[in-house]
Amino acid sequence: MAYKTRYFNQASAFLIIFLFLFSCFFSCSSKLDRDILKIGISEEPETLNIWLASDTNSRKILSLVYQNLYIRDPETLKLIPWLAKADPLYDPEDLSYTVKLRNVKWSDGSDLTADDVVFTVNLIKQFKVPQYISKWRFVKKIEAVDKRTVKFYLSKPKAIFLTRSLGIPIVSKKEWSLVVKKALSKKKSYKALINHKIENPLGCGPFVLKERRCGAYIFFEKNRFFFGKGKTIKGRKLGPYIDKLLFKVYRSADVAILALKKGSIDYYWACIQPGHVDGLSRDQNIKVFVSKKSAFYYMGFNLRKTPFSDPYLRRAIAVLIDKKFIVSRILQGFATEMSSVVPKGNEFWHNPDLPMYGAGLTRDERIQRAYKLLALRGYSWEIPPVNDKKEVVSPSTIRLLDGKPMEEFTILTPPAGYDPHRAACGTIIQEWLKDLGLPVTSRPMSFGALLDKVKARHDFDTFILGYGMLSLDPDYLRSFFYSKNNRTRGWNMSGYNNKEFDKLADASLAEMNNDKRRQLIWEMQSVLLNDIPYFPLYNPTLIEAVNNKNFTGWVKMVGGIGNIWSLCSVKPAQGTSKK
Amino acid sequence: MTKKNNNYLKDIMERLKSGMFFQYLVFLWKNPIGKCGVVLLILFGVMAVASFVPPLIDPMYHPMTGVDPDISNVTPPGFNHWLGTDYMGRDLFSQLLTGSRVAFLVGVSAAFMSMVFGTIIGMTAGYSGKILDTVLMRTADMIMIMPTLLVVLLLSSLFGQLSIWTIVLLIALFRWPGVARVIRSQTLALKERPFIDAARISGASSVRILFKHIAPNVLPMALLFMTFRVTSAIIIEAVLAFLGFGDPGTVSWGMMLQWVWKTGNMFQAPYWLFPPGICISLITLSFYMIGRAMEDMLDPRLRKEGIQD
Amino acid sequence: MDIKSFFIKRSVEIIVIFFIMMTILFLLFHFAPGDPVSMMVDPSMTSEDAQYMISQLGLDKPLLTQYLVYLKNFFQGNLGNSFYYGEPVIGIIGNRLPNTILLFTTSIIISAFAGVFLGKIAAWHKGEKIDTFGTIAALVCHTLFLPWTALIIIWVFGYKTGLFPLGGMLTPELWINPETNFLIKGIDIIYHMTLPLFTLCIIHFGSYMLIMRSSMLDVMGEDYILTAKAKGVSDKCICNHHIAPNASLPVVTSIGLSLAFSVNGGALTEIIFSWPGLGRELIFAVTNNDYPLALASFLFIAIVVLIANFIVDILYTYLDPRIKY
Repeated sequence: MAYKTRYFNQASAFLIIFLFLFSCFFSCSSKLDRDILKIGISEEPETLNIWLASDTNSRKILSLVYQNLYIRDPETLKLIPWLAKADPLYDPEDLSYTVKLRNVKWSDGSDLTADDVVFTVNLIKQFKVPQYISKWRFVKKIEAVDKRTVKFYLSKPKAIFLTRSLGIPIVSKKEWSLVVKKALSKKKSYKALINHKIENPLGCGPFVLKERRCGAYIFFEKNRFFFGKGKTIKGRKLGPYIDKLLFKVYRSADVAILALKKGSIDYYWACIQPGHVDGLSRDQNIKVFVSKKSAFYYMGFNLRKTPFSDPYLRRAIAVLIDKKFIVSRILQGFATEMSSVVPKGNEFWHNPDLPMYGAGLTRDERIQRAYKLLALRGYSWEIPPVNDKKEVVSPSTIRLLDGKPMEEFTILTPPAGYDPHRAACGTIIQEWLKDLGLPVTSRPMSFGALLDKVKARHDFDTFILGYGMLSLDPDYLRSFFYSKNNRTRGWNMSGYNNKEFDKLADASLAEMNNDKRRQLIWEMQSVLLNDIPYFPLYNPTLIEAVNNKNFTGWVKMVGGIGNIWSLCSVKPAQGTSKK
Repeated sequence: MTKKNNNYLKDIMERLKSGMFFQYLVFLWKNPIGKCGVVLLILFGVMAVASFVPPLIDPMYHPMTGVDPDISNVTPPGFNHWLGTDYMGRDLFSQLLTGSRVAFLVGVSAAFMSMVFGTIIGMTAGYSGKILDTVLMRTADMIMIMPTLLVVLLLSSLFGQLSIWTIVLLIALFRWPGVARVIRSQTLALKERPFIDAARISGASSVRILFKHIAPNVLPMALLFMTFRVTSAIIIEAVLAFLGFGDPGTVSWGMMLQWVWKTGNMFQAPYWLFPPGICISLITLSFYMIGRAMEDMLDPRLRKEGIQD
Repeated sequence: MDIKSFFIKRSVEIIVIFFIMMTILFLLFHFAPGDPVSMMVDPSMTSEDAQYMISQLGLDKPLLTQYLVYLKNFFQGNLGNSFYYGEPVIGIIGNRLPNTILLFTTSIIISAFAGVFLGKIAAWHKGEKIDTFGTIAALVCHTLFLPWTALIIIWVFGYKTGLFPLGGMLTPELWINPETNFLIKGIDIIYHMTLPLFTLCIIHFGSYMLIMRSSMLDVMGEDYILTAKAKGVSDKCICNHHIAPNASLPVVTSIGLSLAFSVNGGALTEIIFSWPGLGRELIFAVTNNDYPLALASFLFIAIVVLIANFIVDILYTYLDPRIKY
């Protein structure tokens, strides 16, 4: 018995020490500042070096620091001047664009001049920065006319100059000139550039980085010299209205959602899975935003080898795929079916008049139609999927045009841990294709290995991939399907080769008139949907949530509420601010 | 110390050989912890067998591909779906049953394979001695301190998704050293016995001696060790699947947990979250309990090797 | 063999194992499909640009050259630069390793002590209710599925009751405040460590407890205990001074054997609790094809295990004077 008392004493001593520690702690943590806007992110932003930053979180953080000449209006999605004063002036005589700059200051108080812009472009050209260089190769020369005027000389007219080339972040000559000099003296200059460690990026955005603790948080304060402060641009009076901004890292989405509900963060800057929506919308403080995304999820075929080189087979597969099922079940309705390679939301460029491939048909009708299509083409079965009485039956393996049974093939998808939807799509499509006697298995594989197979080695049959952040300018059509890009590490992963398409693509790149260019882009879409090198599946919508208790005023646009407009207009909610 | 240990092992071996295996089972049943384990295991066995039934009733109960035509989101338990459905409208109960089958498959086959590796390597090391012995045992030591889970995770994320059989093989490749050590010490003891000498003198090759004379003697011991290996294999597979590195073509409990986790239903659908987690814990528990009960009646000294997985 | 030559022998062994592992890992990463460049999914990047990047990163050299360069750099204390952080890998690991070691060692020490303590009670009261209950509880805890348990613990203690933070290692609001002193920062870290520690201890203490219990029972049957009893030594004294110290030796051995197991659990806990440690970094680096970082993280985790094993061995000689190497 005496022992039991002693155990008890020991245990209670531990408990008391613990309680003491935590009471100490609670007393100091209760004073936490409510004026700080707290944003949760899903991973550590790995770098603050803008030329290296390729992960989404680094880009998010840096988008608050480095600004562009032109940005998109959240409602009309038109390009509007940001660092620039007005739209660029085009001179067809010498193929030049003239851009005038606003009176902008860097966050250390010095002026942003035309020199900085020239420096930025020259840096990209000198180091061949892979993310940007392809958009600047056709720019012959750039010069600073005066302190606030820049002139770009193009070697030939390019439609993407405005929308794509001018979308680069402008960096300060002061911050980078020494780094550039040092890097250029090295043998591997680009490597030296991206391996330069930036502790405190010098930008001209609404916030200035104060402190970064790896693995825990990034702390910003308001930029006193922000050019937009108090200005009204496109009917929006810009802030920032918050003094302090804190980014916290939550590695698991569930925990971040709990943090959002608890009020530990005000906004979780990442896409939320549909499953969370029910629970979130029940909470009074939480507001769920569903925004469009300029994304494109598709099934791709390897056109380099039989049998997928036959467009009839690809069309039959397209008929079998029930996009409605995918959208309503796998994505829980948080997506739209895609009928073209350009998302529907991109109204100006999207061609609404394209073949629909079995939309609205039932499972059996789809099988019958696909069967008819293939049977007419010359494919055969020992036991066809549709019997003499026009009933759908379980078929034997399909025989190709040469009479041999089709060999096993795979659908490669990203792993479920990376994207559960695409992996699930693969499994479901596999079952649908089996209904027609196509011997297929779906095989999720790690993202790196998948891209290596599809993009570098071209060793695949079919795959499901997607682009989460397509630019609004449909220039990517040319990247994806231009026959010259059909090579190792080129973007034409399907191996699509169509002279007619190439001609249209070249014309669309050179066409400077938007309406004429639209005609060409529409034509390109209809060629693609007829040949189906990629079969478009769905375009997910972006679900995000904020806690409205302390801050309100988020701005919704394509790509979600995490944008520069939001951060310039979020205000402390009434009643909670101490001022 | 080693000598005493060897005597123990010899003793167990003799008893196992002399047809007392059945008596051990009876003994296991009499031990309360062992009984608990056996009951649980039988339960999971029944689940595994029953998993073949639901898809026969209606194709919508197919654990992977069958979806309820009327349901397209997460629903709580009901008459048609005893445990509810997942986000696509698939039946959770039939998934749970199938999970049991996969757990057995993974656990038993990985354990069996690691036992085979361990026995062969242990016998070879013990019998040949000298350099080969040193090399094999050093390798075993090295592998023993490797964090198996991290290594398998590394491999599966490097080389794309692994099929369930590759995962099983990998687990076995990293879990043999424990078995090998014990088998080696047994072989060392056996090597000195007269009947081995007799075989050698009569001209039998080393391979023949190993498989004809030594193997039958160490086999019962190796089989005992299988029990301990089963749990670690099940857990590793579950964790891999949970983190999204499992075989996407199989419905395992880890996979179910991954679905509930990744689709964001974790804290909204307890009927989806709890059953697979509890099942994983219970099946490991049942194997542990049987293992412990066996130790209780065999030799406490074996525990050191066995429980550390 | 004396302790000195044992020390030298083990050190050499660790170094050899380290290099073997380094080579194997290097080969593995080299032959694994995918590279950081193919992960860059910007449609406007042409294949020349990708090729340029690969040559800049030195990935186009033959295997042997790459390996020799790696070895050469290794001896200069340079493990390469991370593809994504753009910083020397050593620095990143230096930043994460202390966090991992903190969580890892504390969890092992606490669970070992808890295990010894509870095992002692259980064995001393063998056959009573407290023993049966304790044994079953230990078994159940030990077999809990870690990631699942961790998430439920977060939900209960972090969200429903709100007693503990949901993850991470510190409260940013406190740390950005210049007035916060070191004591509070320290408490803040302990406060954040509670839940991950709790999870790890729940999973680990069971095995230590069971080992302690059975080894206590073994020792209790030894002759010298009987002698002590006959001498009239009090029960309490026998339990604490005669039996327990001898019985804890197997626990020490088992710590050594279970280190690898603890590392696995540690990595999982780090992921779920957003603990900025090495295990999480490793998994993240591997999924992103950040080979220099992944390779170095794995090597360092292995080194931690090797050294911890070494320490356990030395500890063992210290605790049990009978052992001679």
